[in-house]
Amino acid sequence: MSPAGCPHVNGFKVDNWKQNLRVIYQCFVWSGSAETRKRKAKSCICHMCGAHLNRLHSCLYCVFFACFAKKHIHEHAKSKRHNLAIDLLYGGIYCFMCQDYIYDKEMEQIAKEEQRKAWKMQAHQAMALLCIGEKYSTWEPTKRELELLRHNPKRRRITSNCTIGLRGLINLGNTCFMNCIVQALTHTPLLRDFFLSDRHKCEMQSNSCLVCEMSQLFQEFYSGHRSPHIPFRLLHLVWTHARHLAGYEQQDAHEFLIAALDVLHRHCKDDNGKKANNPNHCNCIIDQIFTGGLQSDVTCQACHGVSTTIDPFWDISLDLPGSSTPFWPLSPGGDGSALNGESHTTGATALTDCLRRFTRPEHLGSSAKIKCSGCHSYQESTKQLTMKKLPIVACFHLKRFEHSAKLRRKITTYVSFPLELDMTPFMASSKESRMNGQYQQTVDPFNNDNKYSLFAVVNHQGTLESGHYTTFIRQHKDQWFKCDDAIITKASIKDVLDSEGYLLFYHKQFLEYE
Amino acid sequence: MKMEDMPLSGPDNTRLEALAHDIYSELVEDACLGLCFEVHRAVKQGYFFLDETDQESMKEFEIVDQPGVDIFGQVYNQWKNKECECPNCKRLIAASRFAPHLEKCLGMGRNSSRIANRRLASSNNMSKSESDQEDNDDLNDNDWSYGAEKKTKKRKSDKSQNSPRRSKSLKHKNGELGSGVGAESYKYNYNTGISYETLGPDEVRSLLTTYCVFLQQCGVISEHTKKMCTRSQRCPQHTDEQRRAVRLFLLGPSAPTLPDADAVETDSFDIPDPQPLMSRLQWEDSDISPTDSASSKASTNHSDSRKPKKKKKPSLPLNSGGGGSGSGSLAGGGGSSSQSNISISTKKKRPKLSAPPISSIYDDLA
Repeated sequence: MSPAGCPHVNGFKVDNWKQNLRVIYQCFVWSGSAETRKRKAKSCICHMCGAHLNRLHSCLYCVFFACFAKKHIHEHAKSKRHNLAIDLLYGGIYCFMCQDYIYDKEMEQIAKEEQRKAWKMQAHQAMALLCIGEKYSTWEPTKRELELLRHNPKRRRITSNCTIGLRGLINLGNTCFMNCIVQALTHTPLLRDFFLSDRHKCEMQSNSCLVCEMSQLFQEFYSGHRSPHIPFRLLHLVWTHARHLAGYEQQDAHEFLIAALDVLHRHCKDDNGKKANNPNHCNCIIDQIFTGGLQSDVTCQACHGVSTTIDPFWDISLDLPGSSTPFWPLSPGGDGSALNGESHTTGATALTDCLRRFTRPEHLGSSAKIKCSGCHSYQESTKQLTMKKLPIVACFHLKRFEHSAKLRRKITTYVSFPLELDMTPFMASSKESRMNGQYQQTVDPFNNDNKYSLFAVVNHQGTLESGHYTTFIRQHKDQWFKCDDAIITKASIKDVLDSEGYLLFYHKQFLEYE
Repeated sequence: MKMEDMPLSGPDNTRLEALAHDIYSELVEDACLGLCFEVHRAVKQGYFFLDETDQESMKEFEIVDQPGVDIFGQVYNQWKNKECECPNCKRLIAASRFAPHLEKCLGMGRNSSRIANRRLASSNNMSKSESDQEDNDDLNDNDWSYGAEKKTKKRKSDKSQNSPRRSKSLKHKNGELGSGVGAESYKYNYNTGISYETLGPDEVRSLLTTYCVFLQQCGVISEHTKKMCTRSQRCPQHTDEQRRAVRLFLLGPSAPTLPDADAVETDSFDIPDPQPLMSRLQWEDSDISPTDSASSKASTNHSDSRKPKKKKKPSLPLNSGGGGSGSGSLAGGGGSSSQSNISISTKKKRPKLSAPPISSIYDDLA
């Protein structure tokens, strides 16, 4: 018997008490279906005063409803010696002998089950708006855990002014490209939650699972240590699994990101061994968070037939003005910029400009005729890229390193990027309205699917041959920190938005259950 | 109040308002009740206190926002002495030099092909495992012992018989090497053959000394000083017989004949089999030269120039001015030449130097 229970329930726990209790829960406390709701509304009134409200309780021994506020149920309990009653609003069980609500383990178990059933039923019947699904239950410690916690009163509580979760990384010799990506990944909220809740079950035999190392990395970051972490094991593993990155020389952070995600994805795939029969639909955490779908539509100029392909992507590489490929002019109109609250000042390129250019219809030219399956001839065509499915974390890569035949240089054009980004104008679904001339998208305040918030910015200082990477990361909603290898300092939002920007990480604002 | 008592269809707004207000207040009360139950349950189950933290812990993890210190309140740049254990070779490496070390350790760096070829070249002599090779490769690794340690090692190599690297290599050799790593160039113990990897810089210097000897100097070993005579080939103190004997002793029957007194130029010598020798010599270059690590960072053609079979004549240590090729010459280690009795600064020497192959010595004496 738990300390929260009471001895008086034993009198109740006889015969078929469980079933009786279930019935009470189903009918009068948590109504799953419309009929039970009706029945509850009609029949649950105080047998003494007829009131509906006032904290109605039902006696557990007989069919008797009475209100608590006016003590009618107390009278019933005294006269009939029925010591237990249940609150019809929240399902709590009141013991008149103890004169308090009691929490009996078995009874609570039944209550929880019935509640879950009722919620599921509601979800089925309710309209799309009210998609409840499953009630969120907070964590409760077990008896043993309570004991441990009581014996160890020192706590580390992560508040908004707390350093836990932030840690420097030692540069192992030109490894700032790795450090900056690690900082960005460890501050990706979903990834952090996945690893801190220990969701990775390693099935790799050897010691070389990168996901395990990642998990270890999170432990290091949340350990509360102040000295910077030395990611030598991570470096070793990355070099072992991604040979093209190995070697003591400066590498590109974007390349490292893709390679790291690839290795993590491969190692995670081992987890879902059963689902591996369809390699395109891996359900690992990397795919869930980072993989999006890029739709490529090729429209034949002759028959206007469209052939569509959808390719998965982990990042979006955007061309910048100042590169040898022409940036302007784009398709006319101001879609995107007005939506994202930016003024289209001449000269300052915005991220949305780059995105617009990325998703513009491109005439492929006469040298690149393709065979149209509609009219069975080689025709000129236009190609357009749009987002079919956006990942939870969208990474934008600004192509600052130009490697054309003639020049190799870094493009340092300033590109402004917003804190909040709405990707609706660049989605495949918005494509039709764009093509029809409706450039101004009406903002749908209830459609939260495409709203993103910035949470990490990777910057590069220096030249093409050599330079240094730093990262700005966001913690606790509005605090930004600059991570420069082993040195973490506080930064202002202005610092972040004024920085050059090389890799931009955006996180979906609203996550829906599937 | 009973719901039935309220006239619903009353046109009076106040009644509707009152009704609405009732519903509203009931909802609020229910919500508050819910919260009360939660708290009540938490207290009764005993986990209500979990939220509390002690002031000390809160203070400990507070973010610091001051110039000159990071968020933990620490000064910048104090993390120079961090070390970590290499997962490959299990040695403690300075953290900031870990990447270059790992590159060599895993064999994926620019110089690794050279190192690998060296291994292959000397695998004739070696009956050791790979791990030793790697071990010894790192002996040549100038990364984590850049500069200072190397220099001291040169000077103290005679005395520091218990330096970690030396003792390691000695232990691994199953006592093959034994003693005899002194400055005396002619006192080697050749059991099953010696490999260059096991020689410290001092030994190698001695070996090179030997070659210098054959090319231009008398070389006869004096009874008193036990050192080789550094006079020219026409030294009056010693006879040709003695000189021949020394050469025979050290290099075996294929030792070259003594040149004519006039022919100081040595391109008359032919090397019977130059390849193993050259590769060994190349290796020796790099062992001694500390410019290796510097050039490996700066130069991009390092790996190109390090082909084992290439006849790197300019790089022979006899040319002390040959440092430019990046292969390292003895000039780099100024201290070395001072220790040997032979002046190595013979810039007159033609690049096309030849010397007898080493392999013959060891074969004979094996």
